[in-house]
Amino acid sequence: MTQRRFDRPLSRASFAIGTELANATMLNNSPTMEDLDGGMASEVEREEEESVTHLLRDRFRLCTISIAEAEAKQCGMEVSQPIITCISDLAFKFAEQLSKDLELFAQHAGRKSVNMEDVILSAHRNDHLTTLLRSFCNDLKAREPNLERKRKKNSRKEGRVAQGLLRTPDT
Amino acid sequence: MEKEITFDPDLIHEIFKLAWKRKAAERGKNELSENMESEVGASSSKRSRPTFANANALKLSAELLRSFVAEAIQRAATIAEAEGSTKIEATHLERILPQLLLDF
Repeated sequence: MTQRRFDRPLSRASFAIGTELANATMLNNSPTMEDLDGGMASEVEREEEESVTHLLRDRFRLCTISIAEAEAKQCGMEVSQPIITCISDLAFKFAEQLSKDLELFAQHAGRKSVNMEDVILSAHRNDHLTTLLRSFCNDLKAREPNLERKRKKNSRKEGRVAQGLLRTPDT
Repeated sequence: MEKEITFDPDLIHEIFKLAWKRKAAERGKNELSENMESEVGASSSKRSRPTFANANALKLSAELLRSFVAEAIQRAATIAEAEGSTKIEATHLERILPQLLLDF
């Protein structure tokens, strides 16, 4: 009797465990496969993104090195290489943060393109920086219309010259 | 006349584009999961479109980043000079870093 009593629950238990295991394996199998596929795809994407980011970071570092060395030469100082690398990484992070800020500012203004005003707004915490950027912005603005005017003037002059050339054979 | 070395605006543009593309993709995913039952129309595609940048805005961003690097070097140089060394080392950068990060 006692054996039977023990047998039944045991067998049930073993059966239950068996089904549970089977279910678990069945249930686990499909998601793991999907996860693997999804994981593979996203990993490939991530690797690509990372390689692109690394490339950009290296190009950014080259620019930083030239700027930093020019700046240090002006001060009559030398800069050790790890320091430049450190500053470059900081500036790169700053650039990434800046891109997020600019996007948000443009979105808040209801635009899809980033403006000069957005860049100036991103430096609003520092008055000196704002004035510096504002003057740079004015410089850029002042340079552009001049170019257009010059082009227009040139085209007008060319037109006159062309007219003159056309007239000369007549006279 | 201006011979100042600065960052390449194209490079800045590429960094920005990468960041925006990443964010747009994230937003697209979030909206897809949110709008699975409700309308998945033009709004999601419109919102997930990446941002564009003005050429002058990129030049201005390059200037901002250049001034960040220049400021870092100049401040570190002042500290190095005060300590009587001619080479900027890690300790000099450490001294100026907190204020620099607060100023930008």
